Amino acid sequence: MADQTPDSADFSRLRVLVVDDNAALRGLLRVTLNAFGVAKVTDVDGVERALSQLRQDPYDLVLTDWKMRPRSGFDLLRELRDPRCTPAPGVKVVMLTAYDDGERIGMARAAGANGFLVKPFTAASLSQTLREVITDERNFIQTETFLGPDRRSRARSADRPMTAAR
Amino acid sequence: MAKPQEDVEIVNPPNLLQVKIGGPISAGDLHLIEKAEDAIKDLRSDFGTWLEEEVQKLEEAAAEVKAQGLKGKAGETLFIRAHDLRGVGSTYEFPIITRLAKSLTKLIDMEEKREQAPRALALAHVNAIRAALSQNIRDTNDAVAAALAEELETQSAAFAEPWKDD
Repeated sequence: MADQTPDSADFSRLRVLVVDDNAALRGLLRVTLNAFGVAKVTDVDGVERALSQLRQDPYDLVLTDWKMRPRSGFDLLRELRDPRCTPAPGVKVVMLTAYDDGERIGMARAAGANGFLVKPFTAASLSQTLREVITDERNFIQTETFLGPDRRSRARSADRPMTAAR
Repeated sequence: MAKPQEDVEIVNPPNLLQVKIGGPISAGDLHLIEKAEDAIKDLRSDFGTWLEEEVQKLEEAAAEVKAQGLKGKAGETLFIRAHDLRGVGSTYEFPIITRLAKSLTKLIDMEEKREQAPRALALAHVNAIRAALSQNIRDTNDAVAAALAEELETQSAAFAEPWKDD
């Protein structure tokens, strides 16, 4: 049974895929998400494994590091938002990065990210990001090459553009 | 000739994630953050080992830079290792390592910078990071560490000034 107070959310049905090439960080993210009550947390070390995992199982949220090799988390985001090849249309995506500049946030948002988490992360910053992503009710737009949150609109429920949680 | 406009369909999907989570996510989830912080604390005994592994990777990259200079692959690898450390130092309870690594990434985050950056300054950052870990200096409460970090940051920022708005 999930640890829940009457006024709090129940994360126990959430399915999260963590993508990071640093094993220790993946472990930390898994432990933190489990402590939030997320029952299903899968972690993989790269983009190809992430895509393979997403073809096999449904996930609600992908939490991916930006800077990985040979393919980056940004490559993964673009593939997930491409209706011609995405294995998980509509999945929410949070970008994890050590950079917190506006340009990078703008790039991630334009490519269809739902949230942005700055490393080093804390339990509080991860919680804030989850909150923003879960309450992000932007319309989706679909074109021949993009299926994802409307890049032109503001997050309705939060009534503010995507910010970087730290 | 004007480019033909791409067909755009706006979709307004129900927020299934919010439905799945159930209740509102608000101050009520503070206890989840505390629980997650406790879970992270349980891993503290591993932090030193994980950080040591990351610093060793940085030193291996630094050895290549010492032999070959900052240009090319050696400098790029040093940047990647510094970037990784920047993202984990504070999480592993060494905020000064995040600070020093941030200064190092600022110095060598572009190929153009790496072609001109003083090798000695880059390697001084690596030595400072090793010293902090070896002597268990975690933050700037240590006066010598604070002065060293500030000096390295000043020199790094001065070098990077011409690229500031890039």
